[in-house]
Amino acid sequence: MPVGPVAMTRAATKLAINRLLDRKPLDDAAIDRFIERHGAPIIEGSRATFLWRGHADEVSVRHRVVGLPDPLRLRRVKDADLWYVSTEIPEGSRIEYQFEVTHDGHTESFLNDPLNPKLAHGPFGASSVCAAAGYHVPDWTLHDPEARPGEIVERTITSKALRRQVSFHVYLPARFRRVVRYPLLVVHDGLDYLTYASAKTVLDNLIHRNEVAEMVVAFVPPVGDRLVEYANNAPHARFIARELVPELTAELPLVDSPVGRTLMGSSFGGVASVSTAARYPDVFGSLLLESPSLVFTDIGQDHGGGPVFDPVVRFVNRYRARPRRIADRIYLTCGVYEPLITPNRSMETVFRQAGMEVRYVEARDGHNWENWRDRLRDGLAWLHPGDQKFVYE
Amino acid sequence: MPTFLLGPQRFLTTAGTVVRSVAPEGPVATVTAGWQDRETADEELHEVMDGRSRNLQLYRRLTEVIETDDHFAREALAHRDAMDELAGIYSVRLQRALESAYVVARRPTREDIAESAFADAIRGVRDIDAWYLRSVDQLYGELQAAAPPEASEPIARNRAEVAELLRDATVLAIAGGHVGILLRCLRLFEAVPREVPVVAWSAGAMAMTDRVVLYNDNGPQGVRGAEVWDRGAARVHDVVAMPHARRRLKLDDPVHAKAFVRRFAPAACLLLDDGTQVEISADGRVPDDARVLTETGAREGAA
Repeated sequence: MPVGPVAMTRAATKLAINRLLDRKPLDDAAIDRFIERHGAPIIEGSRATFLWRGHADEVSVRHRVVGLPDPLRLRRVKDADLWYVSTEIPEGSRIEYQFEVTHDGHTESFLNDPLNPKLAHGPFGASSVCAAAGYHVPDWTLHDPEARPGEIVERTITSKALRRQVSFHVYLPARFRRVVRYPLLVVHDGLDYLTYASAKTVLDNLIHRNEVAEMVVAFVPPVGDRLVEYANNAPHARFIARELVPELTAELPLVDSPVGRTLMGSSFGGVASVSTAARYPDVFGSLLLESPSLVFTDIGQDHGGGPVFDPVVRFVNRYRARPRRIADRIYLTCGVYEPLITPNRSMETVFRQAGMEVRYVEARDGHNWENWRDRLRDGLAWLHPGDQKFVYE
Repeated sequence: MPTFLLGPQRFLTTAGTVVRSVAPEGPVATVTAGWQDRETADEELHEVMDGRSRNLQLYRRLTEVIETDDHFAREALAHRDAMDELAGIYSVRLQRALESAYVVARRPTREDIAESAFADAIRGVRDIDAWYLRSVDQLYGELQAAAPPEASEPIARNRAEVAELLRDATVLAIAGGHVGILLRCLRLFEAVPREVPVVAWSAGAMAMTDRVVLYNDNGPQGVRGAEVWDRGAARVHDVVAMPHARRRLKLDDPVHAKAFVRRFAPAACLLLDDGTQVEISADGRVPDDARVLTETGAREGAA
């Protein structure tokens, strides 16, 4: 057995779970102390060790990280009720996961990690969060008592295009004044951005820090079947471009030109943004696209996304065949762990070659609201920079 | 009349000492318009000025004009929109030109070719800066024609009130803050008379130059090229006033420093860090011993 510095280095680099496995005897009390000391998942350099404690026949980590095996099966510690698996999680990563546990022939899915207090929330419920070394929740996403709060106002508009009333929320920045003209940001899945991406807090903080311009933001939810309405749908585009924007411009002090208007959305909301801009290219000067579901095929129709993607694929294929300018600037971001990374890497070039200014940013994250929250500073500050460069106290 | 440019005052207050040396007695006219809606929160400044300060309240006056003169307000807003559009297109042109200059400077090439290529790339950047300032002049001309300030009753009244306060003042002290708002206020109310000594710091110092240059490498977008914003009060000539340079600029990149200095030459890039105070000579020039940015990124006196 090696002794001295070599042995010490090996001991230091050995994963905590392996040090535990070396322990004899490995009783419940030792496992209790181990969990209390390390929590879960255990992050050591670029490795993450997931733990599950309990009686089971099979335990797996379920996730949507492209590149990692899914399900990621845990191993049971011999003669104990502790399960574990270690995997690579590169620095700066953030992944969302759940457990799937089989016991006595019965499988329970979508279980959050009881040993991990970190949860991310979304429209489909909460998930556990594995934050790798180097990932920190950005401070500008958290409430800052110094930041003057803007105001959220509920509004309703009667849409002829959608043949219904649409309720939505408008953000007015702190110190809102009618003698100033503000840029307008229209956000698809508006309520989700407010609820799951802390959009109001983010706006309050970034405006307070002069990183983002004071702006008016319309948070607009889908009113019907989202997957239809956001998939290159003519009435939706008409509603946004010909009803919502003109009404807001008439009622609020807004910059009345494309340069002052941005359309934003994530996932299918990104498709809705691109397709609306494609139908009305003179309305929005900028697009902010987060993991847009811009799925396409280069040959055939086998896109693998199911029927809801059919109109998306038809639209994107048509656009790729004849790319054209649909805005001045596009901020495009996507998580490297989501399947959409491949089409988005391709779309960056397509947008750029169509003559638009594109900023493309990849994140070590997935298709989720906290990823989209974490990219807001970069996207908004690029499209609508605040007065930071003007302020010299 | 002398002009003193000072570094930031937050951590090292030298403004009071300098003001006392210029004018030991009498009212001190102060401008805190760069603080915007915190303009009147100037108790600390009043104390530093030995209780002699008379705030010109230019931001409040600007707000009053905008709220009471609809025609001027409309034209001023249109002017601001146009300035924003111009600044946007300038930024696009500028970033590409600067990037080209940086690439040229870093590429290993025969020395004479490298130097000639870099000089030409910088000429391109200077041309863009010059085009931008000509366009700014044109937009001011349009605003002047559409809404002459002298035709506005609230502007005329406020100008008269400011002039009276300045007539009584022994010195004018101009604080920092938002340099764009500050410039707008100083210009609209003609608040920098030649016959009054001036002590100005941070954004105030920038506003005293003939060309205001903005810079911030620490924003969300990282290192961006400095941008010319506007003409200043031109009390000081051939100077780029650079408060917070150490905090806001990545001066350790020799290519950036070289490009910065060449781009604005023959102007002196005056470093105004905490505690700095520079007395500008009678002809409006920077003294030889002032600390300036050089092509090698050094920060020693210019002499």
